[in-house]
Amino acid sequence: MVPVSAYLILAVVLFGIGAIGVLTSRNMIVLFMCIELMLNAANLAMVAFSRALNVVDGHVIVFLVLTVAAAEAAVGLAMIITIFRNRETINIDRYSILKW
Amino acid sequence: MESLILSLLIFFPLLGAILVALVPSNQHSTIKGVSLIVSIITMILSFAVYSWFDEVATGMQFEVNYSWVTSLGINYHLGIDGISLLLLVLTTILTVLCIISSWNSVTKGVKGYFVSMLLLSTGMLGVFCALDLFLFYVFWEVMLVPMYFLIGVWGGPRRVYAAIKFVLFTMFGSLLMLVALLYIYFQYQAFSGEYTFDLLKIMGMPIANQAQLWLFGAFALAFAIKVPLWPLHTWLPDAHVQAPTAGSVILAGVLLKMGTYGFIRICLPLFPDATITYMPWICVLAIIAIIYGALVSMVQKDIKSLVAFSSVSHMGFVMLGLFALNMQGMQGAVLQMINHGVSTGALFLIVGMIYERRHTRMIADFGGIAKVMPVFSAFFMIVTLSSIGLPFTNGFVGEFLILLGAFKANYIYGVVAASGVILAACYMLWMYQRVIFGRVTHEENKKLTDLTGREKLVLIPLVILIFWIGIYPKPFLRRIEPAVKVVLSQVSRASTVQLNEKFELEPVPVYGETGEVLEKTLTDNTGANR
Amino acid sequence: MDFQLPEYNLQLMLPEIVLFVWALVVLSFDLATKRKSGSAVGYLAMAGVLITGIVLAFTGHGQGFGQMFVADSMAVFFKMIFLCAAFMAIGSSFGITKDKIVNHRGEFLGLMLFSTVGMMFLASSNELLSLYVGLELTTIPLFALAAFFKDDKLSVEAGIKYLVVGAFSSALLLYGISFLYGLSGSTDLLLMRLNLAASALMDYPKVAMVFVLATITILAGLGFKLALPPFHQWAPDVYQGAPTPVTAFLSVASKAAGLVAFAKIMVIGLFAYYDPFVAPIDWGMLVGIMAGSAMIVGNVLAVRQTNMKRMLAYSSIAHAGYIMVGMLAMNELGLASVGFYMFAYMFANMGIFAVVALIEERTGSAEIPDYGGFSKSSPFLAVSMTIMLLSLTGIPPLAGFFGKFYVFAAAIRQAGSDPVHQWMYWLVGVGLLTSVVALYYYANVIRTMYFGAQTDVPRIEFTAPALTVILIGVIGTVVFGLMPNVVVEFASQIPISDMIILP
Repeated sequence: MVPVSAYLILAVVLFGIGAIGVLTSRNMIVLFMCIELMLNAANLAMVAFSRALNVVDGHVIVFLVLTVAAAEAAVGLAMIITIFRNRETINIDRYSILKW
Repeated sequence: MESLILSLLIFFPLLGAILVALVPSNQHSTIKGVSLIVSIITMILSFAVYSWFDEVATGMQFEVNYSWVTSLGINYHLGIDGISLLLLVLTTILTVLCIISSWNSVTKGVKGYFVSMLLLSTGMLGVFCALDLFLFYVFWEVMLVPMYFLIGVWGGPRRVYAAIKFVLFTMFGSLLMLVALLYIYFQYQAFSGEYTFDLLKIMGMPIANQAQLWLFGAFALAFAIKVPLWPLHTWLPDAHVQAPTAGSVILAGVLLKMGTYGFIRICLPLFPDATITYMPWICVLAIIAIIYGALVSMVQKDIKSLVAFSSVSHMGFVMLGLFALNMQGMQGAVLQMINHGVSTGALFLIVGMIYERRHTRMIADFGGIAKVMPVFSAFFMIVTLSSIGLPFTNGFVGEFLILLGAFKANYIYGVVAASGVILAACYMLWMYQRVIFGRVTHEENKKLTDLTGREKLVLIPLVILIFWIGIYPKPFLRRIEPAVKVVLSQVSRASTVQLNEKFELEPVPVYGETGEVLEKTLTDNTGANR
Repeated sequence: MDFQLPEYNLQLMLPEIVLFVWALVVLSFDLATKRKSGSAVGYLAMAGVLITGIVLAFTGHGQGFGQMFVADSMAVFFKMIFLCAAFMAIGSSFGITKDKIVNHRGEFLGLMLFSTVGMMFLASSNELLSLYVGLELTTIPLFALAAFFKDDKLSVEAGIKYLVVGAFSSALLLYGISFLYGLSGSTDLLLMRLNLAASALMDYPKVAMVFVLATITILAGLGFKLALPPFHQWAPDVYQGAPTPVTAFLSVASKAAGLVAFAKIMVIGLFAYYDPFVAPIDWGMLVGIMAGSAMIVGNVLAVRQTNMKRMLAYSSIAHAGYIMVGMLAMNELGLASVGFYMFAYMFANMGIFAVVALIEERTGSAEIPDYGGFSKSSPFLAVSMTIMLLSLTGIPPLAGFFGKFYVFAAAIRQAGSDPVHQWMYWLVGVGLLTSVVALYYYANVIRTMYFGAQTDVPRIEFTAPALTVILIGVIGTVVFGLMPNVVVEFASQIPISDMIILP
């Protein structure tokens, strides 16, 4: 049986990739995908803990997190489309009218 | 009525301010009239307080105590003793005179000006009446805002700089005071189990020596900035020179007294051990202020900044008197607080009057005014002499008592401080001579008109006070005496607590103990301490 | 298997349900009138908030859905703040005449109400899952609101920035939550608190490391939400770009929501690990550093700003710092002072933003130098703004002063309680020094309004709702400064409410 720590390490790695992606990526879409990656890392950790502790809370949370993430993505993509119409770029470095 | 009168006195100007604010802003004469009436009624109220005041009783009078923020133990606690009484009367008189004096000189933003004056008056009166530390702090801060506007809107060319400097300095000090206040609050809770800011209750609490030093430092910094004690005085000349005449009068006459009043009311009774420890330091600073203020005054070219620096010098006398920690010194200091309010207030008014005519305050622009404006010169003479401290004027009584006290505490203080009196005579008389005597050197000065009736009306009450205090100071001293005795007994009481730890004596009760014995104990203690 | 259904106590949720339904009504009312409802829909939304407030006042305390949903003093107090903020934000949004909002008033208001519902759920949540969902329901509508002026480049950019930061911080928070869940075996905050207290983390270095990781990610997530340095850079941009009523709502309600989340997770959940002797990480000190730097960064950078909204953004960073000082005082004054400070801050800040919105609508500028001579053309607004700015500065007898006083009182108490906490004195010291700086830049605005170079500020016309908002701001500021007793009594219930029992 795969120990819990393996899942957790995977979750940490996923989260790390996501977080680094958010901080370094200049492309709005990639950036958004990285955020999803972070959320999924959290989901993985949650499920792993849930299984290890033998309680169902974690599974329930994952479902809700998926829903919330979907909502977030919906609003996010709509806004990306808006700003693309507005500026014709999805490079976040160009969004600099306001002093970053 | 007697229990209500203090609240009425404090909040009547506020009520008046609201009333004035409701008048349409183009009806200047109504605004001025209402403000004048309000301030006169306030003055009459303060006279009523004065006449009802029991001059021999010790302790606080006209006390009221209501719960304000119950869960935090904050009370609306007012009460006055002789020291506050005189300051209250001074405040109300000066407010009336200021309002009369700015009758024609204020042309823009008339409504805002008079509203600010009245609000300021509420703040000042509140500070002198508050017996709850929180309430004290609230009033202390409240008067910052109208003063900021008075300097910032109606002041001279560099008014904004001066206003901000004034506010930043004061705010810095008072925030430190806030921390110290909170520390005491929790200390008292640990001591008695009760949350309270009540000054009279906290006075009964012994505070550890080390803590006293810190707390005294925090409070003293706030008060010393206000006094202002050298080297914290740098905001004062700016604020004075830039402020409008009435602003300067209030600033010199009342606001500076709030600093010394804070020392008497809070620092000395609450932190007696620290008081005795710090006493020589503060005395030295006060003496430096006396000499420094006098020397800098001597080289000023602007009359107003000369008067401003002379304030530093005079307030140094007050501080010296306070920290002489004996009956004469402290009585003199309290009297000198009043004197300085009267004579420096009058000086600022006089400078304002000549400034209105000539639009300059440079000494070099004047000369030979005596021929053109004889009445003005006479008033100027009286006020100048009072500021110097000539016998039969008020300044003499105050400074004499202070010097007496200083000699008693340490004769070196007395000797050095006395030289300040001589310097004062130098710079004041020299200035007077250059402005008033000699030939009329400037064409513009030939056309100057003498004082109008309104201006005389402003100066006459001050001149009366100058001579009254100078010739017959007894009614004032009599009212100060019990209050000063109480303060001294508190200083000596807690230092006996300090002694008790060594000698296991019974502590002396806080209130009701008066007389020479305590004074003697005190002087002995300070002597031993040194 | 014996499975017992928990007690629902649905009536406790009544305010949320009412507001939620009302938000739907507002949305559909605008549609039903073919988007011609004009300001009527605004009044409808304000009425909804008012009614919710009344319902809230009559809904008792208790627990529902097992222990997942609590209505205790803390929840009710903060819900009141959210509702007041929403009411005032809606009121100040009436003046907006940009084409975008004329056609989409229903959505604008609906989103704002949904966000408020999210905050209310957040305030009542007693476990991590509903807390997370409440937080997301709060922020997702705010992303859209920040970018509401679709053709305004600033607004859209602000929205995108808020979106990135908001989503990122939520992910951080969720990640931390997942580890806390794993360590404590429960999402229930009280159980978590007990379990964490019982497990001696220090004895298992690897587990302790996971705990440290969880704490840091949670602090980072909450730090972003509250705009505490070093996670504050987004705030000025978003505040400047977003529509002014949204900025107001962000700076008050969303900040209060972040505070509630912080109080629940850190102060309640991780209480046992506040003490540096047992915790693998002294999070109190960590947050203390964040709070201290918030006061310094916020106040110092605010001095240089020329844009009013940006200046207020920095000042709100600083205020978050002051509030955190109160939060860190883990005694019975702590949370009460946080509540009071937030309450006072709400009145002043919402009122100021209402005035800023009015000026912006009229002159198209939120630059401070353009306020010169404003006191001549609109004396009432200038006086109101002055009073509220003074309250933010902390000048007595206004509410803001009492808030500051209360917070510092709590902190000094904590600092004096134990030598370990003496660093709180430093925090108080920093708070005091930076207060003087704050005075400088607030006074600068007042100075410009009253003594600044004359620009031709036209007379500002205001609508009845905007006037109401400003009056509420001024009256709240003055009345709760003079009579803080009412709120203090209420706020001092917070720490002794049903769920938190502080030692």
